[in-house]
Amino acid sequence: MNKKNLLLALLFLLTQQQVQAFCGFYVARADAKLFNKTSQVILVRNGDRSTITMSSDFQGNVSDFAMVIPVPTVLQREDIKVVERRIFDQFDAYSGPRLVEYHDQGPCQRMYLNESVQAAATMKSRAPVSDSEMSREEDMYRVAVVARYTVGEYDIQILNAQESGGLERWLNDHGYKIPDGAREVLEPYIKSNMKFFVVKVNLEEQQRLSSQILRPLQISFNSPKFMLPIRLGMANGEGNQDMIIYAFSQKGRIETSNYRTVKMPSDRNVPIFIKDHFGKFYTDLYKENIRREGYDNIFLEYAWDLSGQNSVKCDPCPSQPPLYNEITEAGVNWLQSGGWSGYTGQLFFTRLHVTYNRRDFPQDLIFQETPNREQFQCRYILNHPAPYINDCPEWGSYQEQKIQSRKNELRELATLTGWDVSRYREYPSYFQGYRAPQPPDGKTGSIHQENKNQKTKPFRPQPTELVPSENDPIGSNDVKLPDSIAAISQDDFVMQDESEQGEKKDLSYGFVALAAITGLFLMHRKKP
Amino acid sequence: MLTTIRSGTSRWIADYSSDARHYQLTFLFIFLLTGLFALNWSMPGWQIPLTFLIALTTQLAGILLLRLPIHSLKSALITSFSLCLLFRSDQTTVVILAAFIAISSKFFFKTNGKHFFNPANVGICATILITGQGWISPGQWGSEGIWLFLVGILGFLVVTRANRLELALSFIAAYGGAFLIRMLLWQNWPVDALTHLFTSGSLLLFTFFMITDPASTPSHKIVRIIWAFSVGLLAFYLQAYHWVNGSPLWALFLLSPLTSVLDYFFKGERWTWQDRIPEKITTAPAL
Repeated sequence: MNKKNLLLALLFLLTQQQVQAFCGFYVARADAKLFNKTSQVILVRNGDRSTITMSSDFQGNVSDFAMVIPVPTVLQREDIKVVERRIFDQFDAYSGPRLVEYHDQGPCQRMYLNESVQAAATMKSRAPVSDSEMSREEDMYRVAVVARYTVGEYDIQILNAQESGGLERWLNDHGYKIPDGAREVLEPYIKSNMKFFVVKVNLEEQQRLSSQILRPLQISFNSPKFMLPIRLGMANGEGNQDMIIYAFSQKGRIETSNYRTVKMPSDRNVPIFIKDHFGKFYTDLYKENIRREGYDNIFLEYAWDLSGQNSVKCDPCPSQPPLYNEITEAGVNWLQSGGWSGYTGQLFFTRLHVTYNRRDFPQDLIFQETPNREQFQCRYILNHPAPYINDCPEWGSYQEQKIQSRKNELRELATLTGWDVSRYREYPSYFQGYRAPQPPDGKTGSIHQENKNQKTKPFRPQPTELVPSENDPIGSNDVKLPDSIAAISQDDFVMQDESEQGEKKDLSYGFVALAAITGLFLMHRKKP
Repeated sequence: MLTTIRSGTSRWIADYSSDARHYQLTFLFIFLLTGLFALNWSMPGWQIPLTFLIALTTQLAGILLLRLPIHSLKSALITSFSLCLLFRSDQTTVVILAAFIAISSKFFFKTNGKHFFNPANVGICATILITGQGWISPGQWGSEGIWLFLVGILGFLVVTRANRLELALSFIAAYGGAFLIRMLLWQNWPVDALTHLFTSGSLLLFTFFMITDPASTPSHKIVRIIWAFSVGLLAFYLQAYHWVNGSPLWALFLLSPLTSVLDYFFKGERWTWQDRIPEKITTAPAL
């Protein structure tokens, strides 16, 4: 019973370097400028058992790295692992928003479609767990160290705190500088019987591994609570933080039960020049969608049935679907190895994307597993025009239709991204050799403002591999009509803080409803 | 000509306001439109027509076989709306089962001629328990529809002269009070965490449009208040200690059978829909 009352894990990073944030707050040993970037989490849920894998993209001197992870129970050593970072990249590449390219059948040609697939490299998994001695110490902070472990390159202490003031003093006195307001944020979790991790890098182990990259940390525990405590991460958070969640479950889709889970727009026809600016296109689309749907939502970017018996693991596939060893390394333990897809058993994959801040997310994210097996992907479609063929009587009407559909593509682009598309006004009629201007800088037509002082990594749309179809009815000598896809990488996705949050649509709803009620009331009064 | 229109309109208004269910239908319809077009709920296109079809057919069968009054179709309409608003499934058989259980529960689960389950509630909970293939999405309203909800509820209370308001108030007092004590006074959560809990559209829909159902709740007023209070406390317990999503629905489902026991010991006025003139129960319940 006591276990059931405990809160789920939460985590905050203590460092003086720039790191990738998880749902925790930054604390530093020295005053240093920190900013939160996109963080990634893998959630695995099976009954009451949760496995959470957190990726930290720490770059810098590893001796400065430290992290605090509150957890619901005193975890045993076998409940803590380190995993390879590559599984995050694999899941990201597999589930990211994608661009599909089609080539029109000309009016004088036969239809033909093909999709080529970019292969992804396989990976090895390794999760060393090393022994350490467990000890117990009470001190004046009312903080007890209930366990000590060394796992991979990390030294972990598990603390049982009685009150937030004591924990704050303990952290301060042990060399961590934690932000103002941390005490208030910690208290509800301590009151819920939370235990706290303190994670540091074991320098000897780390040198032995001779790697500067710290691997993601994975924890598992049994608790009915299925949630991510993002509130801690906002203790010093100014503006927005961005998080991608890869969730694995047996029954079906994962959704939030205390926030609205909204599907991203998908399957839209967009202009072909978007291929060169897919990263910018998608981030602007994402921001515009947040503005339209409201800031307090979580967004569904991908949902797919990955069960062993489902032969279509993605359609189209921007990368290889997750392999058995990747899935098990992420914490899925109910599949059986074997079968022609590498494993048998039920598995459902959900990718969620959330941009959160203190104002719009007053509660932690609470999830629920639904039996919903509907598949969903963020897919945007490019339609290349057919090549011009001499003496084709139908060409004229084809051209007219194409111009019209390209105008619609521009309208769609403006709606989706909020871009001012007047710069592309020549696009509809130029079938060959159209050179599209750069996408608008900043957010034309949108209320979002980008902080230009922050460095944003340039987007790298993945190179598209053009593979002619095997059953090409036209022949390779005629014209190549390859169809291909490009995927957006989550690495490239960095949400900028938004200085302007934008007004809510609530009031307009209120006015409309108030008018309706007044009408009804007056009508009611007329009753004879 | 003008007089004809006028008298026609006033007759229509008189008809409309003679039955509280008309208002309820209007508001549920507005909520459903909001969900579909403003909040873009992802529900399969066949769910709404299928729910209505099965619910109305079942009710019609009841009318023909059990000689129920024809106006009971309105109650079936309300149940259909509630199912569309609250219940989610991606399988046709599950939706059919939910609608069928909802309506037929009124024929089977009754004591002394009064059904004790809220039809939509038992339809949802029993279907989830039996098939495991349906679910409730408590987060589906977000906070955007909150004004619509608050004003909708106020409007509903005004036009229906607040019948059964005590049920809504005692439920929310128990559920809200328990969360307030636990979250604010004990755990020291910030106030907006609690406000966020209470602006859940699903909770408000439950409080003002489901638990207030006069047909399936205890007849005696004081008993009714205590009963709704217990539903609130049970919902709080399930939510806070067992992390049950949509706990008010489950609490109501579990405590509904108590209604018939309570009605046996505490007599009250029985509710009838049509004229809102309560008729006294004169016959003693058969043993």
